[in-house]
Amino acid sequence: MTGFLGRGPRVSEEQKKRIPPGQYFTEKWPVLHYGSVPRVDLKTWDFKVWGEVENPFQFSWAEFKAMPRKSLHTDIHCVTRWSRLDMDFEGVAVQTILERAQLKPTARFVVVHAEQGYTANLPVSVLNDDDVILADIADGAPLTPDHGYPLRLVVPKRYFWKSAKWVRGLQFVPADRPGFWERYGYNNNADPWKEERFSEG
Amino acid sequence: MRSTSPEAESARRDFHEIMERKGHAVDNARDAVARLDRAFAEGALRRNPEIDGVLADLAVALEQDEGQKLGGKSSEAARFIGRRLEQLLADA
Repeated sequence: MTGFLGRGPRVSEEQKKRIPPGQYFTEKWPVLHYGSVPRVDLKTWDFKVWGEVENPFQFSWAEFKAMPRKSLHTDIHCVTRWSRLDMDFEGVAVQTILERAQLKPTARFVVVHAEQGYTANLPVSVLNDDDVILADIADGAPLTPDHGYPLRLVVPKRYFWKSAKWVRGLQFVPADRPGFWERYGYNNNADPWKEERFSEG
Repeated sequence: MRSTSPEAESARRDFHEIMERKGHAVDNARDAVARLDRAFAEGALRRNPEIDGVLADLAVALEQDEGQKLGGKSSEAARFIGRRLEQLLADA
């Protein structure tokens, strides 16, 4: 049995169960960001891991491409109310990065740093999940510039603003530091199944 | 310490009215920032590190590279950051 879920294409009963409250199903992948799409030069691109870790390190694009790869089949949910199901991402598992970094016990939160000063924050307990990856491929093709080329974080269990585009580093910190949208009114936790879209204040 | 001069009050009022006027939130935010810059230059309002940080965030949200459309979240960012700026200006 299929039916409409608000606006958009028909969805099956099975798909409906995968769409959080207040969301609608889309087959498109809307582009949402503020400002301009950054221009990236892979020759100078790097990614840093630092803060409360035993082994801070950084890697180049060539080093990233040489890391063990991980594929992820997942659904994504945007705070602007669209959900897209059955996406395929490829990249490097964040757990691979965490293993190499060797987090100190004081590393309780992460600040995700991206181009243009964008940040998003997460508890390490959310980051350290087997479905969290640094993705350079989406649905079989390299990310397009407006979807985060060359690299974005994918955190499927949170609204998608936490999955920072154009990501450039992970900073581990002992206390939480609100990211860009979290500073200006978005919910700090961002669980789509609890409809945590905006902060209370 | 909060500036209480008529110029400061006028700058705060103008900032609010520009942000709230009809039209595109990004255009309004650009005009509101221009008004704010004038207030800072004239000494009507005082900058502080927190205001500077928020203005830097807003500048990125309003930035439009040549040949690119402005991102679809720029309007929302402008509104959200504008609200925060207004709170900070109350004490500036």
